[in-house]
Amino acid sequence: MKYLVVDDSKLARLSLVKSLKANIEKAEIFQAVNGVEALKVMHSEKPNIVFLDLTMPEMDGYEALPKLLEINANAKVVVVSADIQTKAKERVIALGAQLHMQKPINADKMKEILDII
Amino acid sequence: MQVFDLTEDEKDVLQELMNVAYGNATAVVAEMLDAFASLSIPNIKVIQTDELLATFSELKSESYFFSTQAFNGEFKGESAFFINQTSANNLAKHLELESSEDLDDAILELTNVLTSTLTTKLSQEMDTEVSFSLPSLSKIPLQEIGKTSAFKHYSQVIVIDTDLNFQDQQIHGKIFILTKDESIQWLKTKLNSILELLI
Repeated sequence: MKYLVVDDSKLARLSLVKSLKANIEKAEIFQAVNGVEALKVMHSEKPNIVFLDLTMPEMDGYEALPKLLEINANAKVVVVSADIQTKAKERVIALGAQLHMQKPINADKMKEILDII
Repeated sequence: MQVFDLTEDEKDVLQELMNVAYGNATAVVAEMLDAFASLSIPNIKVIQTDELLATFSELKSESYFFSTQAFNGEFKGESAFFINQTSANNLAKHLELESSEDLDDAILELTNVLTSTLTTKLSQEMDTEVSFSLPSLSKIPLQEIGKTSAFKHYSQVIVIDTDLNFQDQQIHGKIFILTKDESIQWLKTKLNSILELLI
């Protein structure tokens, strides 16, 4: 399985990668710092699961989400965001995300996510 | 006076912690106003107080409501919330408020909920606790900001600023968290320990 972690924060990316590695022995993990980079990785690597932040420079998660699914309709996108407003959750689900999870993500929360998807 | 600066990694960690805290605070306020807010990326910088006053002057509003709330603990400082007259009027309209007293009260409550939720969550993320003083509200012209007593306690501050932005209701505010000199070294140590745990 290939995983893509998209977040402009190094801390958030490190935290997601660590929690992924705690749950999956041989995870192939790619990283991107915004939506533009995420689209490039989606083109080149076709990751199966994408962890996507919403508030990012260049291209935010709302804009990137449908474009990622356009490139690979089979990818599962989990939005990982600090924006926990009900309307934000509804919006990303309508755009095609499988899940909306509140930041920060630890190993237990990651296990929950992986069990669900 | 010792001059501090934050490394790129320290800024990144603080920005992300602030992002999480602000997300929580915004959700509470959005529910209170029954509206949807768009979130922006927090901006972090260490500056001298006179630069801070210049930053405030960039708000380019002639008249605005300005409220502050001090917090104490290992992490010590003050949060400040600005909302200009137009946004305040839109807030009054949105909440169907009839008098200026009601509007003052609504802004104070908004400040209290916003800044205390924000600072509490930020402190939790850094594994510490803070206590709050009551928020105070003033309506002052821009050129008098330098006379505001809140900023006389600071020589150098870490400023974390972000926007409160309810697009549909045309309500926009700006939030600053100002950290006192004595908290800066504590903050730097804490940010580095958070990062080291992940590497």
